Amino acid sequence: MPVRVVDASPTSPASASSSGVDVEHKSPPACTLLGVGQAFSGTQNVSSPQKDEAWRVNVRIQGCDLEHGYLCGTMEALNVPMADTPVVTFWEGEIVDTKNYTFFTNKWKATSEVDIQHWTKFPSFSSLLDQVEVDGGKSLNLSNYPYIFMRWKEQYFVNVGTDCGLTIAGFYYVCFSCSDGSVNGFYYDPNSSPFQKLELQSAKYEDRTGFSFPSYELQ
Amino acid sequence: MPSSAIPSSWSSHNRPELLIARLRSAGEGRLKALRELKNQIIGNRTKKLTYIKLGAVPSVVEILTSAVFDTSGDVHSILIQSCAVLGSFACGVDAGVKAVLEAGAFSHLMILISHRNDKVVDAAARSLRMIYQSKLAPKYDFLYAKNIEFILSLLNKGNENVTGLGASIITHSCWSKMEQRALSDAGVLKKLVSLLRGSLSQRDASLESLASLIKDNPEVISKFVGPESGRALSAVTELTKDRYPRTRLLACMCLIVVQSSSPASLQVAGIKMKLITILLELMDDPGEVGDEAGFALSSFISESEDLQKLAFEANVVDRLCDHLQNCLLQTRRYQGILLALAGLCSKLECCRSKIFSHKAFNLIIDALNHERSEVRVAACICLKSLSRSVQHLSAGHFKTELIIMPLVKLLCDTSTSEQVAALGAISNIVIDFAMHKSLLVKCGGVKQLVQLSKSMDSTIRVNAVWALRNLMFLVDNTCKEGIFSELTAMTLRSLICDPKPSVQEQALGLVRNLVDGSVDSIEYMFLEDCLLLNTVGRQLLSASKTEVLIQGMFVLCNVSSGNEFHKEAVMHQLMTPADPDTLSIVVKFLQNSDSQLRVAAVWALVNLTSPSSPGAFARVVRLRNAGVVQQLKTMVTDPCLDVKLRVRTALGQTMTFDASVV
Repeated sequence: MPVRVVDASPTSPASASSSGVDVEHKSPPACTLLGVGQAFSGTQNVSSPQKDEAWRVNVRIQGCDLEHGYLCGTMEALNVPMADTPVVTFWEGEIVDTKNYTFFTNKWKATSEVDIQHWTKFPSFSSLLDQVEVDGGKSLNLSNYPYIFMRWKEQYFVNVGTDCGLTIAGFYYVCFSCSDGSVNGFYYDPNSSPFQKLELQSAKYEDRTGFSFPSYELQ
Repeated sequence: MPSSAIPSSWSSHNRPELLIARLRSAGEGRLKALRELKNQIIGNRTKKLTYIKLGAVPSVVEILTSAVFDTSGDVHSILIQSCAVLGSFACGVDAGVKAVLEAGAFSHLMILISHRNDKVVDAAARSLRMIYQSKLAPKYDFLYAKNIEFILSLLNKGNENVTGLGASIITHSCWSKMEQRALSDAGVLKKLVSLLRGSLSQRDASLESLASLIKDNPEVISKFVGPESGRALSAVTELTKDRYPRTRLLACMCLIVVQSSSPASLQVAGIKMKLITILLELMDDPGEVGDEAGFALSSFISESEDLQKLAFEANVVDRLCDHLQNCLLQTRRYQGILLALAGLCSKLECCRSKIFSHKAFNLIIDALNHERSEVRVAACICLKSLSRSVQHLSAGHFKTELIIMPLVKLLCDTSTSEQVAALGAISNIVIDFAMHKSLLVKCGGVKQLVQLSKSMDSTIRVNAVWALRNLMFLVDNTCKEGIFSELTAMTLRSLICDPKPSVQEQALGLVRNLVDGSVDSIEYMFLEDCLLLNTVGRQLLSASKTEVLIQGMFVLCNVSSGNEFHKEAVMHQLMTPADPDTLSIVVKFLQNSDSQLRVAAVWALVNLTSPSSPGAFARVVRLRNAGVVQQLKTMVTDPCLDVKLRVRTALGQTMTFDASVV
């Protein structure tokens, strides 16, 4: 979801490191609630010291490739004050599978300290912290862990121009619960308010009383 | 002004009819006429076709035949010249090969391979090699020992055209694994490897032949790379640096065959990158070698993401795009470049993004309208690879009439290969994530897809249904209604019951998407006396392919997310006994070894037992009585986390009712 462009403190220097331990990597579990076509809705807290504010957010998964640790979709921000219509962005996700991606971001102005600061906001991360501090989590086996950690990075605005006064420079640290399909995230952009919280729930189609799963298959 | 079909270079004294008549003259006159004919047709396709039309080939074969059996005088010159003329007719022109074969020249040419005069042997072998460049040449069955003996006798001759002929016959005729093994066991592999040290023509013929002999056959490849073949692999590797471009290309193609079936055999440091670089350089060759290099590159990289990464690093995308911008591209080269680009971006997003940022993307789109079918097919395959990018699909890069219109037009083509290629691209492109997929509808695409879903050809059928299934993904109600009314419940029923499981799977995937979205969509299942629902239910009872069952179970799962009536209908289907005596189909699926099928079944149960539904309690009682709840209890430690979590949800919901009863 895009956020307002605001001034913030400068970034600290990057200092990510990783060990060369070679382990067998198993991908995180395939989860039907994170499959293509699945929808989520909730809010992103965009409060500043001056004002409490939350924008309603809808997310739809459009692509999922566990082999490459890849996920993508759209994010729609509904009540953005400076926009006449809902603002839709396309995002791509890196799934922390310890094969394609570790907990260390190594880009997007995120140092390993920043990474740890954000990941530790998720209670489900606490049991992984010690190992992540050692090697970014490379030696962890997350294949049976009921939470999937990801980074979601917005790539472009779908329905508004880049001159809309909003920025998608940052990215989200995301924790998805395989049990109930809830998504929690924290937006990170050194130039925006810190720890903007994203909270989404798995969304059923409005008049349905259960879960439905569409699908497509690329040739 | 209309003019004669006879080329203007013919003067009155050498008109074709006259020259053909002179072939019937005796002695020196006949020989002169043969020489003249040879000189006229050599390298001239138009003249070849003219003479073929006028029946020159049977006249020459007649001369050859009578000379073969003539022992009275010196007929060597006649034999040599008639062989040369026939070879020239066959060279590069299939109509010529056909005429030569139909006139019965083949057996006589073969007899001449054993002639006592070396020059005659050479001429006959040369002529037969021309014939063996064509697909029309007769095939040899290498499961007959005599044929293998014959090939070995050719390969063992001192004449390079004869050995070359032996190699060409292998290239042309050796396809099955059994034939490859028989030839290899008989010593042909060893002989071909020894010919790599021969003349330029022997080397090339041997390389081509070796590629056929080892293709897709790890057993023969292991012999080829093993100690019994000496240093065959290194000899071929060395030939990739040969001064002749054709030799370099053939050596690369031989190594590509090794890589595709036995990657472990090709472990020379940096060889893969070298192959890519050499093939890229060969594409600069203006002739046939440059044309074929694109195909070789495509076959090398298409299946391997690692090789595509190497190619990306070697800047192959840019180089291919540059080649594509050469407006003078011939059909074969154009096709090769498009296929190489298709291979490059079949798996890697970075390659796709690079093509999108290049103006070559528009040239790929233009190629959809090319006059030659091969180029149009290659363009479709390239677009199919490019449209595997969800990012670019979502950005709407394919949502343009410039792409959709020609693709839909290709669907109407009579060529199966074009239809299948176009369907492949359309299947991906229709997943544009916009709810309003009206562009395809506007272009008449849906009508065509539905038409093709009824094709007699199962490949077309499966691809057409696949496209419709993807089109139905997240589509809005209006569009859904349009597709359904075109398709009809009866056609869908036929497709679900298609004899091919792959069609059944896609058809059920289509229905799965049809009943997704607004709850009203589920009503499609109940039209015409529950036609679709009952068909899906029957298919779940009778199908054996897991992929079909998964899609069918997800259909029921999606229906079970609707209202009470929908849920009860699903209950009825799920509780049907799978076997006459025992299990209901839902229990059978819960016990299946495929986790996707188990998860689909559990999701349906989660939907059916949702406590917010008024009829949930009664359903829980029925599920318990049928042993379904008991089955769920055995799955709380299911090895698949997704199944395990859904089982817990379902059991939690059933226990809600236990508590309320207590």
